[in-house]
Amino acid sequence: MIVGLSIFVMLCSVLLILLVLLHKGKGGGLSDLFGGGVTSSLGGSSVVERNLDRLTIVTALMWIVCVVGLGLLISRGA
Amino acid sequence: MLGAFVRAFRTPDLRNKLLFTLFILTIFRLGSVIPAPGINSAAIREQMEAVQAADTSGIYALVNLFSGGALLQLAVFALGIMPYITASIIINLLTVVIPRLETLKKEGQAGQSKITQYTRYLTLALAILQSTSIVAMARTGQLFQGQIPVHTYMPNQDILTLVTIVFVMTAGTGIIMWFGELITERGVGNGMSLLIFTQVIAVFPSSIAGLWEEEETWLFTLICVAGLVLITGVVFMEQAQRRIPVQYAKRMVGRRMYGGSSTYIPLKVNQAGIIPVIFASSLLYLPQLAIGLMGEDSENRVVRFLQDYFVTGTHPVYMATFFFLIVGFAFFYVAITFNPAEVAENMKKYGGFIPGIRPGRPTAEYLDYVLTRLTTPGSLYLGLIALLPMIALGSAGASGGFPFGGTSILIMVGVGLDTVKQIESHLQQRNYEGFLR
Repeated sequence: MIVGLSIFVMLCSVLLILLVLLHKGKGGGLSDLFGGGVTSSLGGSSVVERNLDRLTIVTALMWIVCVVGLGLLISRGA
Repeated sequence: MLGAFVRAFRTPDLRNKLLFTLFILTIFRLGSVIPAPGINSAAIREQMEAVQAADTSGIYALVNLFSGGALLQLAVFALGIMPYITASIIINLLTVVIPRLETLKKEGQAGQSKITQYTRYLTLALAILQSTSIVAMARTGQLFQGQIPVHTYMPNQDILTLVTIVFVMTAGTGIIMWFGELITERGVGNGMSLLIFTQVIAVFPSSIAGLWEEEETWLFTLICVAGLVLITGVVFMEQAQRRIPVQYAKRMVGRRMYGGSSTYIPLKVNQAGIIPVIFASSLLYLPQLAIGLMGEDSENRVVRFLQDYFVTGTHPVYMATFFFLIVGFAFFYVAITFNPAEVAENMKKYGGFIPGIRPGRPTAEYLDYVLTRLTTPGSLYLGLIALLPMIALGSAGASGGFPFGGTSILIMVGVGLDTVKQIESHLQQRNYEGFLR
């Protein structure tokens, strides 16, 4: 049980990382970190981006549930 | 002041943005408390209270500060935004060295987004590295300097659990990165800096409470007053700017008259903000990381050297390095972000000049001169403020830690001012519109 869930969590993690990387990075880097100019975010998000958002949220929820569940399983088993 | 807040919540657009930001920050905090699988963070907390303050000295205090206490609890979001910051720094430094990155930077929007994408890849690579080293250090008990027996917080140490923790922490970093971008995109203020801000604020109450318990009342009051004075001073210095007057010549384009106005170029005393401090502290964190990977008892001469001079944050060599790094980075960062020649060129193009100085090269030289003269005290101020907690710790021997540490104050004030300014500009936009209609 623990082994299976662990592997599932790992798969979820990899998926999550890939999904986040698929997003268009809008961080802008350090240049507007801490007191840069006012950055104007132009335009809304595209359909692709919105679906990606949904997918990421679902994966993230699944991930966190599994992480907590695994934590509980391990602490109870030990 | 309060009226502005009420008004901010009345405008639906701004309200949504504020609520969205708060929502993300809440989730972020939540994730900083949920322990990674296989970690018993309740045990850590218990033991931590018992040994008290063993962890607050040294470099860890700073890293732990950036992660809002999540690191020492081995939470899901233990790494915080540290990997992203380190990655940005590395990419920023590399743009100066690698020609390809430089051309990308000059390409404008498209190139910039490519650089951002590189930063994100690097962030995850660093996250893997850091989470591995943290897990390794946790397993040997080194993370808590051997104060807490390992089996209490890490019941089973088989390879599967360890690998899972590394995966979870890396994915956590990815989520944090995404959160930051979401806030920048749909919320208020800059996401990454707001996330750091939250983490700094999060440790604040507990460190004040710790101080209250440990120190006598008069000393506590004294420290609080000193902190308030310090905050005022930092606000003063952050807002300080020199305004260089610029006069624009009148000119006719078609039938309309343009220009003829006099404005100014604002040059801040501390143009670089708190980036130098963050640069310097994360650079100085690297030796610690290296030691973590090599093992503390290694006979290697390099390791011994680092161990002697760079592990305790109060060693004079460490403090001097920190100071000089900050001063150097302040100049470096100002040089990167403000290009006098370009500004002078643009001014010339639109018929502007600084009274008494010829446009073109003399203007660029003048701007450079003023900027250098401004940055000198600015960088010294940054270095001194950042060193303040270490000096206070070293001389007074206050073991509880100084909650008004230089870096945290700089972050709090800098990010706070910035965010409030952005909210205000949103408000102005709104009210101006309503006024005109």
